[in-house]
Amino acid sequence: MNLIQIIFWFLSSFAVISAIMVLVSKSPVHSVLWLIAVFFAISGHYILLNAQFLAIVNLIVYAGAIMVLFLFVIMMMNLNKDTDPQKNIWIKLAGAVSGGCLLMVLVSLVKQATEINGKEAMLGKGDIGLIGTLGKVLFTDFVVPFEISSVLFLSAMVGAVVIGKKDSKLENN
Amino acid sequence: MNSIIVSALLGVVMMFSGIFTTNKTAIKNVAIAGLLILLFANIADTYGWYKITVDAKGMLEFTRFGLLFNSIAIFSTLIYVILSGSDFAKVGTYVAEYFALIFFVLCGVSILSCYNTLLMLFLGVEIMTIPLYILAGTDKKNLKSNEASLKYFLMGAFSTGIMLMGIALIYGVNGNFGIAFDIPAPTSPIPNYGILLPLGLLFMFVSMSFKVSAAPFHFWTPDVYDGTPAVFTSFMATVVKAAGFIAFIKLFQTHYFQLLASWKIILPLVIILTLFIGNITAVFQQSVKRMLAYSSIAQAGFMLFALYSNNDLSNEGILLYAAAYSFATIGIFSVLVKMKDYTFEGFNGLAKTQPVLAATTTVFLLSLAGIPLTAGFFAKYFMLSSAIKQHNGFFMVIIAVLFAAVSVYYYFRVIQAMYFKQGDAETTEINGRFKLGLVLLAALIILLGVMPNMLLQYLYF
Repeated sequence: MNLIQIIFWFLSSFAVISAIMVLVSKSPVHSVLWLIAVFFAISGHYILLNAQFLAIVNLIVYAGAIMVLFLFVIMMMNLNKDTDPQKNIWIKLAGAVSGGCLLMVLVSLVKQATEINGKEAMLGKGDIGLIGTLGKVLFTDFVVPFEISSVLFLSAMVGAVVIGKKDSKLENN
Repeated sequence: MNSIIVSALLGVVMMFSGIFTTNKTAIKNVAIAGLLILLFANIADTYGWYKITVDAKGMLEFTRFGLLFNSIAIFSTLIYVILSGSDFAKVGTYVAEYFALIFFVLCGVSILSCYNTLLMLFLGVEIMTIPLYILAGTDKKNLKSNEASLKYFLMGAFSTGIMLMGIALIYGVNGNFGIAFDIPAPTSPIPNYGILLPLGLLFMFVSMSFKVSAAPFHFWTPDVYDGTPAVFTSFMATVVKAAGFIAFIKLFQTHYFQLLASWKIILPLVIILTLFIGNITAVFQQSVKRMLAYSSIAQAGFMLFALYSNNDLSNEGILLYAAAYSFATIGIFSVLVKMKDYTFEGFNGLAKTQPVLAATTTVFLLSLAGIPLTAGFFAKYFMLSSAIKQHNGFFMVIIAVLFAAVSVYYYFRVIQAMYFKQGDAETTEINGRFKLGLVLLAALIILLGVMPNMLLQYLYF
């Protein structure tokens, strides 16, 4: 068992345990924190697969931005024991059945994909996921869409300011 | 490329003009000057006097058709700003930002008229619609405006998701974002692309139908157009809608859609349904603003004929239609904004109190209904004759003419209210320049109705 395999098994078990903890922890805030741990573990896998860009974006977007949004929503909804809705047995059963169906589909998918049988993931090989490669494509072949998307973000920012700023007409009222 | 770059830069200029002055008239004048510069830049591009050339790797393709549409869109926006620009201040305080957003929309419009890859189509659609979500919600204290903005945003985001799914599926077949597909020779059988290509095309069709509010994807239109402040509805219903159609037609002209025979069934159904829902529902409206929202769905039904026939005649027709429809609707909305009451009763006796407004509004309504000697007549004529030329589609044409007759009913209700009903229609203060603008616009519509080639000649020379 070499070092990479040890890291792989560590990250995998860490991801699975954290995912289980997301489900079983009582407090929603703890669930969100465990979910962040899952994302970190998955980012570790991306780095093993030499997909640095994906790893960083996964951390910034999912673990950073989206989880903060989740926490905000939980904070605003002010969830605690009293507001915990009573779940009846049938809803739990339905959840278990649909989750089990999804698991079955995923497992059978992996089993049917004969191309990947007996193959290992490409660890530390290939340069398609490197930031340098992506940057090169982005600034040569796709430079026009890249620059034009700045107009999109600029208009979104102007819009956010227009919506968010206080209307002086409203202040007078 | 000129209009894309210049409109984006002018958007930034408008943004900063808000720092230096809070005078609404000054900001409006800056916007008018900006639009004139933009129009000139686009015409310079059309005739090759001065071109900013950027190596877009074939992602943008500048045709005479697209550039002429840009000119029409920019010119319509110019008319719109001249007539309604001073009413922006009634909606909210950030007039400079509203103008900036309008310039960003024009940037999106310029991309949509000349895209050559699905990637640019997506960017263009987003740049065009995201400022509109904000403009829809500018009247912050009005619950209906908030509802319109949220509804438009959620529905728009959903349809964009469908479009992305479609693009992803087509990418899966094609291997790139290009809209030029390897064309099979006319004699050889159409290659089998499996389920991916038809499904991707269907998703694209659904999403684009949504953007141009064709039935059965029209449900957002009445609420959004009704809730949005009337000044901005005017822009949404004209320039933006026409640009959506140009993008739709460019997509439809690609070989993707030619590959599938099933459009010959789906498209006529969508057209008839759009005409039916738009016209019949418009009959029952009490508010002129909501009636115009349904009438815009009905007009979309006519514009869909350009997809149905898809030949040279329909290409000319859609440009004429875009111009005729935009000019007339901008005119009506600019009058509507000045009215105190948006219902049909609010127009009672307008001919007595404001004869100029009533007369010009009549011209605009006649143009929308497609009465001869107005631009709307030739626009509809081009659409229907192209359908006959391409498919011999007499059935479709008869249905379209029937629904055009229905549309006369609800357009003439406004005329009837203005001329033959007693009442004192209240308007806000109207100055002489606004009246002059309306008269000139009405004259332009009649001129286009007598000589449509005045516009269409630019397509070839």
